[in-house]
Amino acid sequence: MKSTNMSFLEVKCLRKRFPSPDGGDTLVVDVESFSLKSGAHCAMKGESGSGKTTFLHLVAGILAPDEGEIILDGFEVSQLSESSRDRLRAHTIGYVFQSFNLLQGFTCQENVLLAMSFSGQADRMRAKKLLERVGLSQRMDYYPRQLSVGQQQRVALARALANRPKLVLADEPTGSLDPKNARKALQLLEELCLENNSALLLVSHEEKVIESFENQCKWEAINQAPGFTAEE
Amino acid sequence: MFQSPLTVITLLAWRGLKQHAFSSFVAAFTISMAGGLFLSTWKIKEEAQKAFVNSSGGFDGVLGARGSKLQLILNALFHLEASPGNLSWEQYELIRDNKGVKEAYPIAVGDNYHGYRLVGTLPELFHKHEWKKDRKYQVQGNGRIFSENAKEALVGNFAARKLNFSIGSKFHPYHGLDFDENKRHADTYVVVGILEPTGTPADKVIWVPIKGIQQMEGHDPAAAQSVSAVLLALRGAAGFQLDMKYNKQGNQATLAWPVAATLASFFDRLSWFEDVLSLVALFVALVGALIIFATLRTVMNEKKREYAILRCLGASRLVVTCVVLAQSLLLSLTGALGAFLAYGGIGFTAAYLVREQTGVVMDPLSLDLGYLVFFPIVLALGFVSGLIPAMQAYRSSLSDNLSPRS
Repeated sequence: MKSTNMSFLEVKCLRKRFPSPDGGDTLVVDVESFSLKSGAHCAMKGESGSGKTTFLHLVAGILAPDEGEIILDGFEVSQLSESSRDRLRAHTIGYVFQSFNLLQGFTCQENVLLAMSFSGQADRMRAKKLLERVGLSQRMDYYPRQLSVGQQQRVALARALANRPKLVLADEPTGSLDPKNARKALQLLEELCLENNSALLLVSHEEKVIESFENQCKWEAINQAPGFTAEE
Repeated sequence: MFQSPLTVITLLAWRGLKQHAFSSFVAAFTISMAGGLFLSTWKIKEEAQKAFVNSSGGFDGVLGARGSKLQLILNALFHLEASPGNLSWEQYELIRDNKGVKEAYPIAVGDNYHGYRLVGTLPELFHKHEWKKDRKYQVQGNGRIFSENAKEALVGNFAARKLNFSIGSKFHPYHGLDFDENKRHADTYVVVGILEPTGTPADKVIWVPIKGIQQMEGHDPAAAQSVSAVLLALRGAAGFQLDMKYNKQGNQATLAWPVAATLASFFDRLSWFEDVLSLVALFVALVGALIIFATLRTVMNEKKREYAILRCLGASRLVVTCVVLAQSLLLSLTGALGAFLAYGGIGFTAAYLVREQTGVVMDPLSLDLGYLVFFPIVLALGFVSGLIPAMQAYRSSLSDNLSPRS
């Protein structure tokens, strides 16, 4: 079911609880309202362990919310069946993980092609161009273990953009990189999203990462969850 | 390769197994051994029985001394075991002249040369008898069939090769069916011909004139007018009349007829052994299935996060489930192919041993419709072993394997 909406991503009254060790529930996400326009970039700063990743997983349909609505590209995510959410992820969302999560048994090019295959648009030429774009033209047939950490993150960026997603979710994308590689990766991520006209929602606990974005927000200002515990 | 879901699933399954190469190899190897053992127990007995029945040299029955029919057939047609006794020459002539008998050839045994039996018979056996439909014995090159009254030998192809005999070779026979160098006869025989191969026990025999055996130096002169057995080719239903005459009414001789039925009873006696081997094969197959199950469980547990990443990239639950099932099918397919290789190895060894011991040629790789059944059974076994890990993959929570609870 597709509904019409001005924003590309619209979140309303979203709540997610997890069982706590004492037997009760801990409210981790409590977002009254959040929206992102098509093609817009937003960097969200929040402490580690404050529920940012959970929020991204709710938006991507990886987790189901306890309450609230997530409307993505006109679809109410929590109302979709599991297979519809799979399709939505394949066609609409690109995900960048902190630990890259590349498939170790596959080469760089195959990692990108696999992501394409699930949306039914595997294109070897585009995979090559993307890897050339992220500076890995000489490493296409390398396995992730044969690459440096910075190179692995660039493969992850190429994979996230493989299907020309309308939304890229980046979860601490520079968390494993040194400052120099982190700067390069962020610049590349923004450029790639601009080239593909993809909206970008990036979360990080690092001030320096957030500073490089024009559109910034604080997770703590959006998330009213009283139960969250910030880690040092 | 990345265009069709089927090839993507196969690729994911194959790479997954490759990453766990050792466990995958053990699982496929166990299935191979179980399958090979199963095929061997089933096919080798069947092929051996078929080969023995086809190697009866074109004879319908054997007349010999009173005793076991099977021993008579093994001795007279397959040149194994000892002769149960002798018949008189008159008894031979009597059955030869029976209207129901198309051909009758007396044989006399009791000597060997380095373990290869000397069988005395009439030269007509090689002139007239068809050892297979429309196939008479052929002599190689310039050789010829022995003369009835000469100390000449016509050597079976296998025996000639093993003994390095050629035309003109001379030898002294040894007394008895087993080689004993102290029992050498004084008579000297000369090889006058070597038979073309027939794939029957005749290939392992040194054929000589029957008078040569009967009158060999050192033999009991009383045996000069007796024969060990008479090989018979019968007309129509004559077998029933002769069976009545010799086996049910008479007590002087035994007619081993029909040859195929007597051999079948022999193989039936071995069925308990086949049952034991089948049981062993079944247990090995179960172990193989459990190893597939354990391998896939291990792969599944180690790959939970990878499957979650695939889901995050847009792979459906069905794709991930199919990957696990494809892995079990790949393992069992490899196991089934390995089973044929293992069976080939066992079958050829068995065929070699049977040939060496009896001269009977069996074909362990003859096509059989049973193979078409065997393949799906092994695949089904692998499929069933993969079901539980596949269900685990299907039910596996995407968020549990990806998300930190924070």
